[in-house]
Amino acid sequence: MAGLTLKNIYKRYENSGKKKKKQQNDYAVKDLNLLCEQGEFIALLGPSGCGKTTTLRMIAGLEDITKGEIFIGERLVNNLHPKDRNIGLAFEDYAMYPPLNVYGNVAFNLRAKGVDKAEIDRRVREIAPLMQIDDILDKMPVKLSGGQKQRVNIARAIIREPELLLMDEPLSHLDGKARQSMRVEIKRLINKIKCTTVYVTHDQLEAMSLADKIAIINFGVLQQFGTPAEVYDDPVNEFVASFIGEPPMNILETTIIREEGTFFFTFADSNLKIAVPSRYYSVVSDGFRCKMGVRPMDVLIGGEGSKGTPEEIATFENLGDERRIGIRVGDMLLMLITEDEKRYRSGDIIKLEVREEKTHLFDIETGNRIREQA
Amino acid sequence: MARIQLENVKKSFGRVQALNGVSIDVKDKEFFVLFGPAGAGKTTILNCIAGINLPEEGVIRFNEEIVNLVDPAHRNVAMVFENYALYPQMTVYDNMAAALRSNLYKTDEATIKEKVHAAARMMKMENLLERLPSQLSNGQKQRVAMGRALVRTPNVFLMDEPLAHLDAKLRNAMRTELKEMQANLGSTCIYVTHDFMEAMALGDRIAIINKGEIVQIGSGDEIYYMPCNEFVAQLMGDPQINIVPGKITEAGGAYVFSFEVHGQNITVSMPEDKELQAKIREAGLKAADMGLRPQNVKYSFEPEEGYFKTTVYSYESIGNKSVIQADCGEYQLRMIAPNGLKVQIDQEIYVRFEIDHSMFFDPQTKEYVSRYDEKSIKAFAMEQEVS
Amino acid sequence: MNNGKKRFGYAAQNVLLIVYAVFALFPLIWMFIISLKSDAQVFTTTFVFTPTLANYREVLLRSDYTSYMVDSLIISGGSVLVSVLVGVPAAYALARYNFHRKEDLAFQILSFKFAPEILVVLPLFMIYQKLGLYDTYLGLIWVYQLISMPLLIWVVRGYFEDISVEIEYAAQVDGYTWYQIFFKMLVPLIKPGLVSAALLAFIFAWNSFTFPLILAGRNIQPITVAITKYLGTDTAHYGQLAVAATVSAVPAMVFALCIQKHLVRGLSFGAVKG
Repeated sequence: MAGLTLKNIYKRYENSGKKKKKQQNDYAVKDLNLLCEQGEFIALLGPSGCGKTTTLRMIAGLEDITKGEIFIGERLVNNLHPKDRNIGLAFEDYAMYPPLNVYGNVAFNLRAKGVDKAEIDRRVREIAPLMQIDDILDKMPVKLSGGQKQRVNIARAIIREPELLLMDEPLSHLDGKARQSMRVEIKRLINKIKCTTVYVTHDQLEAMSLADKIAIINFGVLQQFGTPAEVYDDPVNEFVASFIGEPPMNILETTIIREEGTFFFTFADSNLKIAVPSRYYSVVSDGFRCKMGVRPMDVLIGGEGSKGTPEEIATFENLGDERRIGIRVGDMLLMLITEDEKRYRSGDIIKLEVREEKTHLFDIETGNRIREQA
Repeated sequence: MARIQLENVKKSFGRVQALNGVSIDVKDKEFFVLFGPAGAGKTTILNCIAGINLPEEGVIRFNEEIVNLVDPAHRNVAMVFENYALYPQMTVYDNMAAALRSNLYKTDEATIKEKVHAAARMMKMENLLERLPSQLSNGQKQRVAMGRALVRTPNVFLMDEPLAHLDAKLRNAMRTELKEMQANLGSTCIYVTHDFMEAMALGDRIAIINKGEIVQIGSGDEIYYMPCNEFVAQLMGDPQINIVPGKITEAGGAYVFSFEVHGQNITVSMPEDKELQAKIREAGLKAADMGLRPQNVKYSFEPEEGYFKTTVYSYESIGNKSVIQADCGEYQLRMIAPNGLKVQIDQEIYVRFEIDHSMFFDPQTKEYVSRYDEKSIKAFAMEQEVS
Repeated sequence: MNNGKKRFGYAAQNVLLIVYAVFALFPLIWMFIISLKSDAQVFTTTFVFTPTLANYREVLLRSDYTSYMVDSLIISGGSVLVSVLVGVPAAYALARYNFHRKEDLAFQILSFKFAPEILVVLPLFMIYQKLGLYDTYLGLIWVYQLISMPLLIWVVRGYFEDISVEIEYAAQVDGYTWYQIFFKMLVPLIKPGLVSAALLAFIFAWNSFTFPLILAGRNIQPITVAITKYLGTDTAHYGQLAVAATVSAVPAMVFALCIQKHLVRGLSFGAVKG
């Protein structure tokens, strides 16, 4: 049984006058199809204004659905009020009830439903250690830190034992270390309770580390729905390729030339030449224009006998654990990451090589991935 | 262009002592980074140098001259504020021209136009010149704030966490751009940040500041490899350095390090390093905290010789690589792993330390004692600095 | 389910708004209608009548109406001017500086508006007599500060607090003197709030009745006091009363219409960050 199914979902806003972006066609969400298995953790990932929060709100019942159907489990929930959909919500602005202490906040919904006191107590005491809030049950919201508030927020959502847990950028108000440790805690928690979860974020790192599968959305249209490994190694288009991964994939416009039977990538305003991987020979030709994508960690510094083109270093950053080198190619900066201990200075010359199996081609007009013929 | 010196500067706000005797000496044309956690006093230092705050004690010198009583306008500093502080009712062009139009720097309009356009070109925002601040995104506001400073030729550039409010992608990209621009700045620059990557990448020298006091000053490599105490070691590096409490014992000239994992005692022999062993003997260190960076912790999912057993607490990606956190009972270990591994939470994992890359701290004072290869690392760091 | 409900909702909203608009504007419309009726017709007719301009001629041309209007303008305008000149720097001080018992002082200033005028006017009458301020412009402008200043300080302080102090630092570092910063940077930013607070202060001052009634006599008669003259000893000339009232509402309306766009922006601008 699938945990959550979205079929051909469309969303258009009436009176969109003051809404953020002018989408093409005015649809905030366009023909979205998603299947989330029972117990799966999926992330809705995309830049601000892409429609991910709108989609989450439609799943929750806080927004009307213009067209399409949403199923939670087996039930069609289009016309159900949020309280009847059996979902838990943990949203960005935690909005705790100020006059109640943590215990009261977490128990609030159960009390409202009329669940009996002993049962409420049992459930709260069961959840509290999972979210590590057992030592702050009697504290008031105003005395809690951001991380603690977020944990109470999530506890409040899961105590209802919902079929579906919805989270909207819950970590956006936390910084650096607090964010990292909350991420670890969320991961452990989801692993324990195994609740189907939909998590909205614009931070690809969060999506990559937490989700079983990621749905990447741009301008209301689903770009790719796959596991973190799939979207990282096998992106379906330029948008996905450059959105996932930090630092982002180097994507450069290139013209392919043929020199004595070998194809090379060449770049405007640069001497750089990179050999085209042999598996693409059947789809390229002399003068073929496209975009080449390769991740910084897959660009390598060639050794002594390397056949790579010598290029001048524009920037060298020593970050302790790793070093990042930037090479100017036309008006773009090609980044490479290495753990080599050697320190360089801008102006030094190095030879560039790339990992063949990690190089991608993208169509210059549509941005879609050009795949090698099998 | 100026040499900036602070001598024993003290500043308090009401009952809060923000600066407790800060002394730094920034060389002319140096890119000097002030690095520390929030609330350490970094912004206060910048404000004192700019003349916005007056210290109660201590002396501030520009090129050896005392400037304590000089008002901000006459100190000729250019400042980039953390929240940008753009003039809301002026266009981007006017914001950047504002300083040059003041009575102090009266410049004619033709020169102003030239300078503003040059700075806008450097910050890649020539198309934004006619906009108002309210029509700009955070990233664009940040460029304008920097452009406003670059138009001037001040004694010193003061930058207060300029990249703080940008998202990770933009922050990384801007940091690299800043690095490229560094050579063209032409003036002393004092840069405040709480992000160690910015500190290491951009700074000629870094001053670590905590609770109003300077903790350590040195180049990025010096501070990374030889932090003066555990606090500094934990600040630099992501994921954080591992600190393992344990004991050092000597048996016939050979040293061993023993520590606990889930209550069990594990002993590892320490490879020979005469200088290190001498320092340990000198300090009379019996109990010690070993510091080891995550990339020097090796793991295996099968039991192997020399590896001890622990359990996986978490596995998560931090961009181009992943971190496995292992639970050892009293403490946790972080180690680097590639992306895309199949790891279950709470599964067994076997760990080995590359002790020959470790450093040692006194467990009472938390101060740095020594590390492996100290001499060669010192030489290496020196070499980088001279150039 | 959705569309039908929504359309009904919109229609209902509009009907309610129209009802409210009629309710709010009706007194003004009614007053205007009365001003066009002759005394005879005031009680006998409602909406159908023969309009006459006799009342207007009587009030505007034959009585001292214009001098009353001038008095009102001088006192209200003057008191708002003084409030602005004193209140804006005071608001800046309250916003930017920290001094002993600052909030107590701020609250005290606000508390001037709590006291009902009738309570303080009798003691003031005696003091004014002694000081020779009775029936003088200076005296009235001074006492009107109780009405206009607290409001102005409270609103403008909020606006100053919304301007982040770093903008002043940036201007200092850029080489501007404090006066230049205050007038060229800060005042334009508080203008919306200043203008809207000044308008409200003007309206309150214009409508003030108790103070001029007791603290002024024959020399100074603002329109609020003078209107009572039209309540004659034998008959009340309602038509003329209506003219006096209608025309006296005009300056405030003109002022508001002129600064209308500043007003809307002013009232909501400071409230929303970012």
